[in-house]
Amino acid sequence: MELVANAQLRRAMERALAADAYTKRIVSLVGDLARTGLDLANPLLVKREQCQRVAVLVLTANRGMCGGYNSSVLRLAQARIKELRADDTDIELYVSGKRGISFMKYHRVPVEESFDQFDHKPLFDDVSNLANRYLEEYLSGKLDRLEVVYTKFLSLSKQYATVETLLPLSEMTDEVEQESGSASQLATSYEFLPTPASILEEVVPMAFKVKLFKCFLDAAVSEQVSRMIAMKAATENADGIISNLTTTYNRARQSQITNEIIEVVSGASALE
Amino acid sequence: MKCIAVTPEKTVFDRETQFIALPLYDGEYGIAPGHTPVVGRLGAGELRLTSGDGVERWYVEGGFMEAKNDVITILTGRIVPVADLKLSDAEAALASARGKVATRAQDVADRARQMETARNQIRLIKRHQK
Repeated sequence: MELVANAQLRRAMERALAADAYTKRIVSLVGDLARTGLDLANPLLVKREQCQRVAVLVLTANRGMCGGYNSSVLRLAQARIKELRADDTDIELYVSGKRGISFMKYHRVPVEESFDQFDHKPLFDDVSNLANRYLEEYLSGKLDRLEVVYTKFLSLSKQYATVETLLPLSEMTDEVEQESGSASQLATSYEFLPTPASILEEVVPMAFKVKLFKCFLDAAVSEQVSRMIAMKAATENADGIISNLTTTYNRARQSQITNEIIEVVSGASALE
Repeated sequence: MKCIAVTPEKTVFDRETQFIALPLYDGEYGIAPGHTPVVGRLGAGELRLTSGDGVERWYVEGGFMEAKNDVITILTGRIVPVADLKLSDAEAALASARGKVATRAQDVADRARQMETARNQIRLIKRHQK
């Protein structure tokens, strides 16, 4: 199982890297747009004063055997839900992954909708459909914020469960500001077809979709990492148990042989 | 001149080319080496890569293109070879778009865009798949 997890991890990492390349290009594109002096005022980027309805999307695995991966995400999600309830906001809970679904069922937390089709290989088309739904709800005012609870992947030795706000996309403008601050001298002046504003209108929803996709990919990679570590520990434990059992077996066998020899010898000496 | 096509899932191709024709939001746009830096919004349609080996045809649906220093980057949600498109899928998409009831202005625009996308696919398939 360790080997299987290892192979799947490598595949998941490749996909995550590919998505990274796309995200970076989108961010640099928005940076170029910002440098044209365009006001980055898109409904998706602006924080709302009042936050009445919050959607919380929890990403867990479909399968267990991955150490504390699912429980740490679910613990965080539970804490976050409690916090939001205390603030008197309406929560719509979305759960991906069978582990999370059964957890919520057990704790009797009402779930708006659950998904189990993403698994360890989320497809962009699926995520994009989901993203479109959130976008529509957000723009029509049915939703004021979207939060995703998932395991962020930093490196092979570090992943942690986190809550990230994806709608409104305020973080994107921060990233852009950082980037444009450092690279402002190198800026090329582009010709925009049709206009920077129209491109921005198209870029922002795309950036959101990619971000959401990235969350799914991160969760998938982290799942494989924790599974690999858990299975490695399991293999080592099993090896330890095997060597213990072998010693015990050999001792038992030896003492049985000794016993038999004693019987034979004592039998022979009784006949003399 | 280099052309790179990236989707969120993978880098589809990254190769040398002599001329590119792109489907922009309002029509076709050609890029030859030495083009001025440009960022454009893509529509749905045919992307042609011309190189020494002939012409390659891809179908692109939405996204952006960026041309800078003779590197053309295509950021899109969907890019497939024209030969892989299926007429039945495109016709089903057109029928479902046509069947939608749109009352708000936004819905009407969305429906028009979906129909246009499907029609472009059908046109491409009919022209190049015999």
